Amino acid sequence: MPSTPTATPVLAGLYFDGQQGKGHAVQLHLGSTQLRIVGEGINRTVALRDLQWPERTRHGIRIAHLDGGGSVQSADSAAWDAWSHAAGMGDSWVVRLQQSWRGVALSVLLLITLIVALQQWGVPVASRAVVALVPRTVDAAIGDYTQAAIDAQLMKPSALPEQRAQQLREALAKAVAGMPEGTVPQWQLLLRASKMGPNALALPNGTLIVTDDMVEMVDGNVDVLVGVLAHELGHVQHRHGMRMLVQVTALGALASTVLGDFSSLLASVPVLLGQASYSRQAEQEADAMAVDVLRHAGLSPTVMVTMFDKLGAWRVRKAQEERGKSPGPDTQPSKATQESGGDALDWLGIAFASHPADAQRVQFFQDAARNTVR
Amino acid sequence: MTELTLPMHLGTSPPLAHGAQHQRDFADTEPAPAQTLAIAFTGSGSEYFRIWIVNLLLILVTLGLYYPWAKVRRLRYFHGNTLVGGRPLGFHAKPWKMLKGYLLVAMLLALYSVAGHFHAVAGLVAFVAVMLIWPALLKSSMQFRLANTSWRGLRFRFTGDLRGAYAAMLPLFVPALCLLVAGTFVADQEQPPLWYVNVTVGVMLGLLLLAPWLFQRLKAYQHNHYALADQHTRFQATVGMFYKLLAEMLVVYLAICVVLGVAVTIAVFIGVVVLGVSGNPFTQTEYTKSMWLMAAVVAGFVALMLLFVSLIKPYMVTRLQNLVWAHTQSEDIRLHSKLKARAMVWLSAKNWVLVVFTLGLYWPFAAVARARMQLEAVSVSSRVDLDALVSHARNHEGEAAGDAAGDLFGLDIGF
Repeated sequence: MPSTPTATPVLAGLYFDGQQGKGHAVQLHLGSTQLRIVGEGINRTVALRDLQWPERTRHGIRIAHLDGGGSVQSADSAAWDAWSHAAGMGDSWVVRLQQSWRGVALSVLLLITLIVALQQWGVPVASRAVVALVPRTVDAAIGDYTQAAIDAQLMKPSALPEQRAQQLREALAKAVAGMPEGTVPQWQLLLRASKMGPNALALPNGTLIVTDDMVEMVDGNVDVLVGVLAHELGHVQHRHGMRMLVQVTALGALASTVLGDFSSLLASVPVLLGQASYSRQAEQEADAMAVDVLRHAGLSPTVMVTMFDKLGAWRVRKAQEERGKSPGPDTQPSKATQESGGDALDWLGIAFASHPADAQRVQFFQDAARNTVR
Repeated sequence: MTELTLPMHLGTSPPLAHGAQHQRDFADTEPAPAQTLAIAFTGSGSEYFRIWIVNLLLILVTLGLYYPWAKVRRLRYFHGNTLVGGRPLGFHAKPWKMLKGYLLVAMLLALYSVAGHFHAVAGLVAFVAVMLIWPALLKSSMQFRLANTSWRGLRFRFTGDLRGAYAAMLPLFVPALCLLVAGTFVADQEQPPLWYVNVTVGVMLGLLLLAPWLFQRLKAYQHNHYALADQHTRFQATVGMFYKLLAEMLVVYLAICVVLGVAVTIAVFIGVVVLGVSGNPFTQTEYTKSMWLMAAVVAGFVALMLLFVSLIKPYMVTRLQNLVWAHTQSEDIRLHSKLKARAMVWLSAKNWVLVVFTLGLYWPFAAVARARMQLEAVSVSSRVDLDALVSHARNHEGEAAGDAAGDLFGLDIGF
């Protein structure tokens, strides 16, 4: 159709008035601001801003919806597109992107890049920013609540003498005394008996909990415990609990945007994997804090290597006890998984790599020890 | 040349597939000339892929703000390619309006999910709040979706009222509420008292027994209140039909469980006997080996679970679609649904495999294939001249927030 400035392009189409189900064969005259619908007994003019114009697609019938109800339609998409183009209506850039294979290829590439970037940097950075906006009092409130809950459910009062706890408190206080201002959070230390085996926990309110089993496992070696506690202090300092909350929420939103329409089960897989990778990063940050504290206190990072050795030995003993076998020679399994132990499902920790492989962490502390020695 | 050249001319009605049955069902004084309209879906997977990928990119770049525009584009594509008797459905919601709804509901959702993290009682309060708002949101959501959907220039309507929404939906929350309330009396979650275990089992059994009834009420609320022009739908599926469906589901479920059980047993048997994991599992190599074996068994189990999901869900969807839509009819129009369970199960299994192996990229193709199969199984028969359908009603659009709630809370409005 010729598009001279004076002639309005015309298209034969079908008009539904919104009151009746009957379609009327009409001629559609498209001007720059209005559409005129002309047919048998029909002569209606509609302003274009009162119309919802269809987008160009390769399949489907073109429908323009009239705001008050009713529509004009044409099954001949090519004719419709030529007609609206002749009247000076262009595609939006989104439609142009969709309809060109280059645009689609570019979108696929951008999308993959964006998802990787969001997972790697976007979500961690955003969570840091979000958590920075949250006052520390919120951490404290959540920590207090969690502490009450786990004290009631998982913990019993420590069987060790109170002076043991005091001794540890003094050792940790002395160790962090040399740290620069603002790098050590408020903390308080509690000893507890628990079924969970040798373990140390940090809560967002700065409470550090060490289990009796942990103290016994390292034979009460205060330097090793200071290392473990410094690691836990790292979790508090970097607000890992809060950040994990934000990260998992953000990752869940991301995954369900991409895959949620298909299956929320499938969408949970990347969340699980991403969460594992974030918690690996968190462990590394906490390890770095441990090294920092140990160095400032004049202790060698090798104390953490001792901890891993003891933990490995403890696991072997525990596993053999459970099988009712006599303790064999003290084999050192290099496949020890976490700093907590005794869980039958521990091997899952390897499958999802929620902690960096112990060997890697041991290596990190050994390297740190070598660099400390001048 | 631009007139619609589609096989839909009233008066020259095509031979009726369900003619005989029809006359009986529409027991009427005068035998009206009936016509059957087929539903055709003309969308293409490759084109929807283009739409989907660009939508997704824009949603991520705008941190989700683009979502309403993406949704409108998707629905316009799917509606515009659904030809009922040769005439497409139309969707004409305004994205700006939807965005407001989304922001509102997103805030609600955020409060709800945060509340549970802080305190059990806060979680309970949030649950009750959602429970009280939900039926209103459902009604609003149905209203919004239908008012923005049209056929032959006529807009659909949802005529359900608020009272009906509460009557249909509040009982659905009772089981969860029972558990939540009972849970606040339990001091130690690790070792719940016997009465709590009994309550849990009782609620679960009760839920299973009542589920068909509850579900029928919900579907009845929805399907009793669709309207187009002067036609108002009535839902005729009885509670008994839903119980029959549940019984059938349980049989299929048990059959699948037996198959799964046998498969897992065989896998473990192969692991223990053939690979010989019997020695001391604590020497280095045996330890590693047994771990790999465990991993293999778990992987196999997960694969079977996926198979299970891919089998049972489409089967259920098929049976429900046939039941619900075949029993929805208005004064002069009725619907038929002849979806084949085997075809749906097969399609679903294929879609699962391809989506997993393409890391999600096959999803739009899968969505189009599924829509085609589900829609083309439905046909419409009418004993009135559709040209003569006349609309007198004014439209109440409802609130976009309802629609947003449907999306964000994963509420299936089932239209």
